[in-house]
Formats: sequence, C-alpha cells, structure tokens
Amino acid sequence: MKRPITTTINERTRDIVVAPNRTLLEVLRDELGLRGAVEGCGVGVCGSCTVLVDDRPVSSCLMLATNAEGRTITTIEGVSRDGELSPVQRAFLEQQAFQCGFCTPGMIMAVEGLIRENPNPDEAEIRDYLSGNLCRCGTYSAVIAAVQSVVVQARAETENSRPAAH
Amino acid sequence: MSVIGADAPRVDGPAKVTGAAQYTADIVLPGMLHAKVLRSTMPHARLVRIDASAAERELGVVTITRDDLTGMDPYYGPVVKDQPIVGIDRVLFAGDVIAVVAAEARDIAEEALDLIEVEYEPLPVVTDSDAAMAEGAPVLHAARRTPQVTFPDMKSVHFQTDSNVCSVYHVERGDVEAGFADADELFEDVYSVPTIQHGHIEPHASIAYWEPSGKLVVHTSTQNPSVIRTQLADLFGLPETSVRVIVPYVGGGYGAKTYPKLEPIVAALSRKARRPVSLVISREEVFMTAVRHAASVRIKTGVRCDGTLVARRVVATYDTGAYADIGPRTAKNGGYSAGGPYRIEHQDLTSYCVYTNKPPAGAFRGFGVPQVCWAYESQMDDIARRLGMDPVELRKRNLIQENDLFVTGDRLVSVGLDKCLDQVVEAIGWRGIESTRPIETDRPGFVRGLGLAVMIKSTMTPSNSAASVRLNADGSATLLTSSVEIGQGSHTGLAQIVAEAIGLPLDRVSVTFPDTDFTPYDQSTSSSRTIFSMGHAARQAGIQIRDQLLEIASGRFEAAVEDLEIVDGSIRVKGVPAQSLTIPQVFTTHFGAAVGSLFGAFDYQTTGGLDPDTGMGKASAFWFLSAAGAEVEVDTRTGKIRVLRAVTSVDVGKAINPRQCWLQNEGSMLTALGSALFEEMLFDNGQPVNASFLDYMLPSMEDFPDTFRSMLVETPHPEGPYGAKGMGEAGLGPVAPAIGNAVANALGGVRLRDLPLRPERVLDALTKEGLQ
Ligand code: FES
Ligand code: FES
Repeated sequence: MKRPITTTINERTRDIVVAPNRTLLEVLRDELGLRGAVEGCGVGVCGSCTVLVDDRPVSSCLMLATNAEGRTITTIEGVSRDGELSPVQRAFLEQQAFQCGFCTPGMIMAVEGLIRENPNPDEAEIRDYLSGNLCRCGTYSAVIAAVQSVVVQARAETENSRPAAH
Repeated sequence: MSVIGADAPRVDGPAKVTGAAQYTADIVLPGMLHAKVLRSTMPHARLVRIDASAAERELGVVTITRDDLTGMDPYYGPVVKDQPIVGIDRVLFAGDVIAVVAAEARDIAEEALDLIEVEYEPLPVVTDSDAAMAEGAPVLHAARRTPQVTFPDMKSVHFQTDSNVCSVYHVERGDVEAGFADADELFEDVYSVPTIQHGHIEPHASIAYWEPSGKLVVHTSTQNPSVIRTQLADLFGLPETSVRVIVPYVGGGYGAKTYPKLEPIVAALSRKARRPVSLVISREEVFMTAVRHAASVRIKTGVRCDGTLVARRVVATYDTGAYADIGPRTAKNGGYSAGGPYRIEHQDLTSYCVYTNKPPAGAFRGFGVPQVCWAYESQMDDIARRLGMDPVELRKRNLIQENDLFVTGDRLVSVGLDKCLDQVVEAIGWRGIESTRPIETDRPGFVRGLGLAVMIKSTMTPSNSAASVRLNADGSATLLTSSVEIGQGSHTGLAQIVAEAIGLPLDRVSVTFPDTDFTPYDQSTSSSRTIFSMGHAARQAGIQIRDQLLEIASGRFEAAVEDLEIVDGSIRVKGVPAQSLTIPQVFTTHFGAAVGSLFGAFDYQTTGGLDPDTGMGKASAFWFLSAAGAEVEVDTRTGKIRVLRAVTSVDVGKAINPRQCWLQNEGSMLTALGSALFEEMLFDNGQPVNASFLDYMLPSMEDFPDTFRSMLVETPHPEGPYGAKGMGEAGLGPVAPAIGNAVANALGGVRLRDLPLRPERVLDALTKEGLQ
C-alpha cells in the first residue's frame, strides 16, 4: 500500500505518497523529476545515484523512499543556490573533473558529503572516501585535484576571515 | 590567438556539474511505455514453444515474440546478419533475447515476464574458441546469412559458413620459415586474455516511436547514429529518410554502444504498441549485451643474437560469442597488428573470429589490439632476458620508423614512437638492464619491479565523415555533426577546429547533438577517429565559409583575398587593422542587411582497404603509437599486485586540447589496469557467474596508482586537422604488458601469460618456479 511521508528535499518540505517498494532514486527521478542522480548499477556499488541524506552520502538506489520520512535530502539539483554553483561544482568545472559526466552528479554529492564531514581531508582520505564512486572514464586524478582545490580554497577563506593578530 | 592546442574549457561542463546533462534514460515522452526483456536462461537451446498470451491477457501489456516478426526479415548485424530482434528458432547464449514486453510501468513489465512461457530443448554448448573450432563441435550458425558489405573494409576478410569460424584474416611478407631457420633463437608461447566488459556507467538505453506518417524516431545511447539509421531502415524496409536517430549525451561507451543494441527491440515494440517505448537495461543485462573478445594468441618469434627480430608468426583467435557484431573487423585489426610496431622481415599473421555460446563480443576500446599487444610485448621482454639485453635497447633496435612499410603495405607517417618510449623511460626512471632486476623493499615478502611496453594501432579505413557548418549573420556558427559527445570532449575539440578554420572566437561556435534528420553522415564515434576524420571535415567546411567571407570582403575593400585575414571574427586587410569589417557588416554587404546564413559542407572519406587475397593494401588512414611504463609491488606471500606508478606517452600528431588528451588517455590506462589485474567475466558452462558490479569489479580510487601520468608526443600528421590524429584508445594496449613486464621483473623473470594477473596465478607461477 502506498504511504504518505514528509521529507525535506533540497530545502523544500514535501508531502508525498510512495509505494513501499520504491527506492528513493526511483521517486526522485520518476515522481519528482530530479534526474541528476542516475542508476549505474542498482546494487549500491557504483555511486552514480549518490545523494545526501542528513548531510551523509547515501546510495539512493538502495534506500527505500519510505525511509526518507523526516529526513533531509540534498540532490545535485539542490547544491547550487540561485544558479550559483557550489564550491565543489566550481572546482569540478575548473579542474574539468568529468568526461562523459554520468558519474559526475554522484561523485560531486559524495565530495559534498566528504567536506561536510572532514573539511580538511588528505589525499588518502579523499581516495578512501570516494572509493565507492566509480568512474570508468578514468577521471580520478582530476577529481582528486578538484577536491584538493576545494580544500585549499576553504582554508584560504578561513584564514582571510580570521581577525589579524595584533 | 590560436585556439588549437589550448586547454579550452569544456562546453559541456555546466550541464555535467549541475546534473542537467540529459542522457537517454532521462527522456520522458507523452504516453511512453516501459520495456523489459525476457532473456534465455540457457546458453544454447532450441525454442520449442513461446507463449506470451497470458501476459497480454492478464496484464494488458504489449509483447513481441517471434510470432510478431513473421512478415519481415528479423535479422540484423553490421557485418553478418545473424542476430534476430528476438529469438526465432534458437537461443545462442544465456541472456539472449527471447521476448520483450512494454507496459505502463516498469514493475508491470517485470511481472509480465513471469507470465511468458518458454519451452527449451537444450543443445550442446561451446564456450571457448578452441572447443568451437574442434572437430565435431556443434555449428552455431549453420544457416548463416551472407555477409553484407556495408563497410568497404570488410571485403578484406574471408567469411566461412561451414564451421564456427565466422571469418579469417591473413597477411604475410617474406618467408617466415626461412626467417625462423635463419634465427639464432626461437621463442614460441601462447598468451590468453579473458572476456571483459566495457563497464560504461550509463547502461544501454533506447526510446522509439512511430510518427503517423510512418517515420520511425529513435532516441538512443549510441556511438554511431548513422549506422543505426541504416540498420533500422534495412530491418523495417524504410528509406533512410524515414528513420530519425537522435543522440543526447552518452554516459560512456568504449565501443559497447556501437552498432544496433536495443534499437531494433524498441522499434519493433513501439510499432506494435503504437506508443513510444523506452528500454533501459539493468547492469546485469549490460554484461549480456556487449563484451570484449576473449583471445588466445600463439606467437613464435625468431631473433638474432644481436637482438634483430627476423621472423614472427602469430595465430590469434578471437571469441566473438553468439553473434558476429563487428567481430570480423576486430579480429582483422588484431591480425595485422600482431607483429607489433617492429621491423620484422618475415611475418605470417592470421586471425580467426569464432562463434561460441557467449554474449556477443564487439568493439572495445583498443579494438583487437590489446589482446595481441599483451602477447608480443610480454614475449619481447622474455627475448631481452634470454639475450641479456636491455628491453628498451631491444625495442629500439627494431622499432618502426617514419616511412617504413608496415606488414600490410601501408607507408607509415607520423611515427613518433621513439620519442614516446624515451618519455616513458625518463618518467619511470628506467636505467637500462639493471631496471630488469627485482627492487627489494624493507617489507619482507614485498618486491617491486619496473616494466614497459609499446603499441601500434590503426583506425577504421576507409570511412566517411561529413560536416556542415552554418554561419549566422551575427558572426556565430553552428557545426552540424553526427559525432557523439561521449565524454571525449568532441563538442569542445570540434568547436576549436571550426573556430580556428573560420577565424572566430571559440565562444561563437556551437556543436549540435546528432540528429540524422539534420546532421550529415558519420560512420562512427569510435576507432579514435573523430578528431581526425570529423575534425578534417569540419575544418574544410569552416574554410569554405572563411573563403566566402574573404571573397565578399575583398570586393568591399577592393583588395585581393590573399591580402585579407580573419581574426577574432573580424575581417581585415593584413597590416592595416583600421581596414576591417565585422561579420554582420560582411552579411550586409552581401545580403543588403545582416540576415541570412553562409554554409560550408565537406564529406571526408579516408581511402584505403586491403586486398582479400593478400591482406595487403592500405589498412589505416593514420596509425597511432604509444608507450607505457609501470612500477608494481608484488606481495610474494599472497600473490597480490599493486600498481604504484603507471605512465603512458602517446603520439597524438597535434593535441587540439592537450588537457582532454591526457584525461581521455587516463581512462584508457585505468581500464587497462583493471584488465591486467582483476577484470574477467566468468562463465560456468555458458552461464555468466559474475555479471554484476558486486562481483565484477571496476578499478576504483583504491586501485588508482600513486603516480598516474599521461604524456603526449606531437608528430604532425599531414592529413589530420592541424596535424592531429586519433588517440582515444592509445593508452589501452601497452599498459597491461607494461604491468606484466614489471611483475616479471619483480619476480626475477617469472612470466605470467594469462590475464588477469590474479593473486592465485602469481602464487602458482612462483610455486612452479620453486620460488614459493
Ligand atoms: S546505482 Fe546506486 S550505487 Fe550504483
Ligand atoms: S565521467 Fe564517465 S564515468 Fe565518470
């Protein structure tokens, strides 16, 4: 039987009715028209369906939509504000950290999760955190460079905003 | 300033980083139905009975079985028409299509599959090419349809119909037996490469509908829209103008999306349903739709003491699976490339394309070459070891050079292989023969080694690419092309070429997606041919527009065309910058107002082809060459290999966009690394065992080497646009043998000849050598 749930998607509270066997990915794509998250494998391995659930990256192909009740979901469509790219998106663009682009929304969401969790990851931490996001085009070096540039930029910003020592 | 050679930012970037880029599965059409495929559970069986009536009756779905295809020839295939839209009398591999269903929702379609009754009568199974070629093996395509000669290069292979050998290619020069007799040392080995899968993250997807006029419209994730149009027109008895193929962004293909895959199915289903039908297959089904040829390669080489290669015989057998797909061409390419990028006086090269009861093998990045490169480059290091030579010196002594004749008779131009090898030697710190010794580490049981390898590959020849360019009155231009933006950056690279050819700023040029109603013919986005072939056509089309602009302006300036130039969209008299016209002004001069358009169009056909009797002629419009180096660490207690460093150097002729060359090449390298260490599709008597990403691993960031570097050499090609030639597959061939050679060097010469280099194979080899 379909069930009503209340969930926050990209900062908007939604009351939706979902079938119990529907995955979050299916609901996002088919019912809400959010088609940035894509299905590469359907079994939680490739990461192309990654979204943030309460700020943590989750494979939306494995999560039942009913479990979104009361949660906060962020998809690739929700990371840019008023047409302005997020720092992670900007870094992906600047480093050209994509080729075919099919893994890219999932990869970006995983990085969004990483920097929320650990704003200052070293390369080993980056590799480890992103090892669940597959890119067959082989763009890993550019992705690592993109994450590093986000980290460097964030660090520079904090340093600039720190009051100068007297 | 020239935009050629600039790291122009990719035009598809904003769409791709925001999730807005549209792929086929994102398209929703009004009234669209969703399809599912009923696949064979048997690797080879006669279809006794198929009954889909219960599914249609109980769930109101639309089905296609063989009974729906009686009024047409249901077989298709780019070379041999041997693959039916759905199973007719037999199924030929586990996963073969038996029936398809379209329903309002995917789960209804799924449910309907269970209601279709199939009765099989099992038939004997052949699952490798040796068994398939053995006497008394069941012949899978006894009633083969005759090969079609859609592609001129297919004239050069011999098709057979009385066995499981689909086609044979042979070429020779000199007298190989005399060469062996003349040699000081002989080496003869058999190498093998398993079936692997492309692993494009976007599964195959196609949507079709029929317009009331009878026109078939298909949105599809394909690499060659023009060929899909031809094949669908042929299947459904339509003029090509009544088939429209549209391709949005494609989420990777690496060869798996060449030639018909799902398009015939959705076309047939939507014809019966009278509604649009979408089919997006699951990952598991992707493993049943296209794979890379498993191959066994027997290679015998005769060498003189000084390291001169004198004679080589290679017999390479490619397992093409249940249907030919493009296998005959794959095997042909592997065949003539099997001697490697070496001057060898006596060569005798043969390749077979063989049917088995496995998923159809087709194009895969590298196209038949990685299989033979694994063999000849591994053997090369064994030769060096036995002769006590530095493997780099051995290669250099024999490498092909500019203007050499290749075994096919091609005169080689743009040959920068020496430089590629030098770059790799430098990048991995190769220090002559001492680099062939194991490098001790401070961890007990762990040894390291360095290795390298080189490769040569051709591109499909002859082939056609047509481009048309339209210049608008405001000075912006559109390139109409059927080249597919599949991740390689064609939208950006081709825009750079058009901008340069006309003299426009880069942001004034846009490139269309393929839509065969508007975009001209292109043979394929594959074979690393887009920048070379489509780039050439686009450049010529751009030059035609430039000539028109100059012609009009020369009247206005009363100056000779030769004295004019176009810089950043303004036409001016050379050396007199004050004398200049904008493009709208040129249009006004010509049309009386800034209206209308100027056109340029060019159809580029590369010439060549091989004689079917001798295998000789011109195999390739250009040749690409590359070298790779690797450092590995082997845990001799577990057999586990880790690649610490991997580098390649590719001769690209001229890099239109160097950054995209590096990135694309890194993709080749990473796939090669997976195929070297762990990728392998396993079958148990024809049943796929690991057809899922849970069981079939792709390289992840965890496997990513610490150093991973792609380098470029530029030896301009006379026919390439601005000297550019293809490079999209170049990194794939040499990386696996470079890794294999590094492993052999780490282990003091212990040679593994079967890919992948799984830990238990390493341990077995060590045990056999008494080292474990
Ligand atoms: S589609 Fe969800 S992890 Fe692959
Ligand atoms: S960019 Fe193609 S899979 Fe990552």
